[in-house]
Amino acid sequence: MTSFRYKEKGTVIHRLNPFCKLAWVASLFVLALVLDNPLFLLLLFLSTLPLVITAQVWKEWTSFMKFAIYICLAIIVINALVSYQGTHVLAEAPFRIPVMGTPIITLEAIFYGIAMSIRLLAIISAFAILTLTINPDDMMLSMIRMKLPYKSVLVTALSTRFVPTLIDDVERITDVQRSRGLELDKGRLPRRIKGRMSVIIPLLSNSLDRTVQIAEAMESRAFGSGTKRTFYKDIKTSRIDIVTLIFGFAPCALGILMLILGYGGYQYYPTLGGMNLSGPEWSMLPILALTVSSVVFLAFLKRRIDLD
Amino acid sequence: MIRIRDLTFHYGDASKPALQDVNLEVEDGEFVLVTGPSGCGKSSLCRCLNGLIPHFYGGKIAGGLEVQGLDVMKHTTKELATRVGMVFQDPENQLVAMDVEREIAFGLENLAFPKGVIAKRMEESLDTLGISGLRYRQVHELSDGEKQKVIIASVLALHPDVLVLDEPTSELDPKSAEEVLSVVQRLNDELGITVILVEHRLDRVVHLVDRMIVLDEGRIVADGNPRAVLSNCDIASLGAGVPPIVRIVQRLRGNGVNVDGIPLTVKEGRSMLKEVFREAGGSELSQVESAHGKPVIEIDKLWHTYPEGPTALKNVSLRICQGEFVAIMGRNASGKTTLVKHINGLLKPTKGKVRVTGIDTQRATIAELARKVGFIFQNPNDHIFADTVEEEIVYILKNLGFDGAEIAVRVDETLEMFGLKEYRKQYPRSLSGGERQRVAVASVLVARPEVLILDEPTRGMEYRLKSELMRFLDGYSEKGNTVVLVTHDVETVAEYADRVILLSEGRVVVDGNKRDVLSRALFFSPQINRLVQAFERYGIPNNILTVDEALDILK
Repeated sequence: MTSFRYKEKGTVIHRLNPFCKLAWVASLFVLALVLDNPLFLLLLFLSTLPLVITAQVWKEWTSFMKFAIYICLAIIVINALVSYQGTHVLAEAPFRIPVMGTPIITLEAIFYGIAMSIRLLAIISAFAILTLTINPDDMMLSMIRMKLPYKSVLVTALSTRFVPTLIDDVERITDVQRSRGLELDKGRLPRRIKGRMSVIIPLLSNSLDRTVQIAEAMESRAFGSGTKRTFYKDIKTSRIDIVTLIFGFAPCALGILMLILGYGGYQYYPTLGGMNLSGPEWSMLPILALTVSSVVFLAFLKRRIDLD
Repeated sequence: MIRIRDLTFHYGDASKPALQDVNLEVEDGEFVLVTGPSGCGKSSLCRCLNGLIPHFYGGKIAGGLEVQGLDVMKHTTKELATRVGMVFQDPENQLVAMDVEREIAFGLENLAFPKGVIAKRMEESLDTLGISGLRYRQVHELSDGEKQKVIIASVLALHPDVLVLDEPTSELDPKSAEEVLSVVQRLNDELGITVILVEHRLDRVVHLVDRMIVLDEGRIVADGNPRAVLSNCDIASLGAGVPPIVRIVQRLRGNGVNVDGIPLTVKEGRSMLKEVFREAGGSELSQVESAHGKPVIEIDKLWHTYPEGPTALKNVSLRICQGEFVAIMGRNASGKTTLVKHINGLLKPTKGKVRVTGIDTQRATIAELARKVGFIFQNPNDHIFADTVEEEIVYILKNLGFDGAEIAVRVDETLEMFGLKEYRKQYPRSLSGGERQRVAVASVLVARPEVLILDEPTRGMEYRLKSELMRFLDGYSEKGNTVVLVTHDVETVAEYADRVILLSEGRVVVDGNKRDVLSRALFFSPQINRLVQAFERYGIPNNILTVDEALDILK
């Protein structure tokens, strides 16, 4: 579980200005929503990989993606079961559901589920990169710079800080209760739920105690003293950072451009459209890959400049 | 200067006052130790000094309270932050930031100090605490001792005149505890910071302080220099732990032996007791070798490697017999907890074999082993979840499938044995710390396990509760049960265990009778053993470990 935690690895991606990373993730999100074509979506997902490799977070990223795969499978199954659009019927149920009609599974619905999953993978990958390469304290600072209220930002940051502690607590309390004969996977549902309660209740009560103690400790160090707070470590924004920031927004700009030009669309229902892209649309593919992964080059460039 | 006049304080919903008619004056630069049984008002007193009481906690307060010229009733904790620095017990619950630098800057930022000042103060406090090596580290990578030092640094950065520490070492291992305390002593000595330290391990601090205050039921019952307090006040009856070196002198005086003064260190003890021991030279220590039954825990060439983690145990082989009381000791991360978790099956061997009462743990579930092996963890709060004490105790029996009649008999018996009868229908979390500990122990022992494992049960526990628990365990092992205790507490081991196993880097480095392991060890010896070392030349046996044994010799 500790793999979800930020580690200071000092790679060029880690050192990239946090605003740039935030901008990049936000605009990748926009781009993912604009695109419909599965080919483009797949390429979008693949274009996030250079960042994963450069940031040396491959292992941690994989554990995020494992989690994402489950969600994707659920999306594909549910979409196939509840979406009755499409003409190529693969299976038909022998009964009728009132209002909804006879359940059918269509090729189009499955294909649509897969395409949506790829879109989701691209978005999760981007967020994983952000979580794994942005120092939570920097993240907090960026939020404050974006004029979000300090107290709310701090509370959010604190709750993330305590996630690992909470995981330790769960493991420890589970050990305690298992030593007292608790078998988590045995018996009927009511018994199982009751079993979980013997872990959850101590966890919650301990967390409540913890909260009061944290509050006391913060109060003792003049938290919320009314005066406008200073920040010892500010986010340094040099000229090259502004350049990287602009490039962070590039995927978003590209998305808008493609929306205007009508590129990147795709027809799923009633029958799947072909991949007959126009010449300029084909040329959009490498442009897309380059735009999304350009932050990597910029990150290296930034280090060069910082070293000089 | 701290001035407290007739201070009485009630927490919001409490009927009894937490502090009652407290009068106290502390001069600048004093080093004051505050001690007393749990629930005596130590923490409440600390909270008053920086205004957490009354501003954070609320409640009824009466009397006068002035710290460094500021009236605490009128000035909030935030305003007092630059006068009074507060350090609490659990380092984990005081850290706010992810890295050390930001942690130290936190208070200064809150008070809107300019960056330049923060940078300067940061350097100072890192250097003063000797932790500049940690400055770029992430907080979660640090050990508990290091975390506590970072917290002290972050408080120190605010340049307080008074430093209040509420049991800062209870969550730490002995070595880190000693380091933290020596840092505190230096702050007092070199920077002249007034220190108010709450601590119940008196042997660690009593020689460092100028003044000692004993609280009981919210009142100050003793106040003065430590020698005077220790010779006039019966602290032991208040549940505070008197260092063995003091206890032996008190007991000798009780027996009519004339000893001048009260020793605070082993060195002082040696010179004060030299004559007494010289006269007793040549006495022999009557050794009682207790016989033990057949082996119950058999560990053969055990290796354990955590997934993606270090190898925590390397080729450990052990045999522990019926009726043995075994202490497992060693530094942090030496593999103690990993080892004992193999005994009840919470962990399975990576390589090698563990058998408990003949059962191979690889082939049994934890629940099956729970009939044979009871496991008590450090914090009773991790055990307790039920609505009543009774349900808490019944839990394990129900899990193990006992029938109703048997359950009723056992529960009655267990409640009686642990003095919990009157609390039967009470909500266990509302009980006091000592009572909760008893509930946790009872909830495991009701299954009558042949093997009982305890993982640092005495950490942060006051003396009275500790000796209560230990005496019980001693009796339990005498009935033919096996007790395995993981601990750092040398004095407890010296008093109660039979055998000591010392782990280091996942290997057993020493395994033997406690007398052989603990005597003449450089760092590991109990106070009394360090005392008698010097008297070997008078023919005093050098393997005496406890006060009682020493008094035996001196008869």
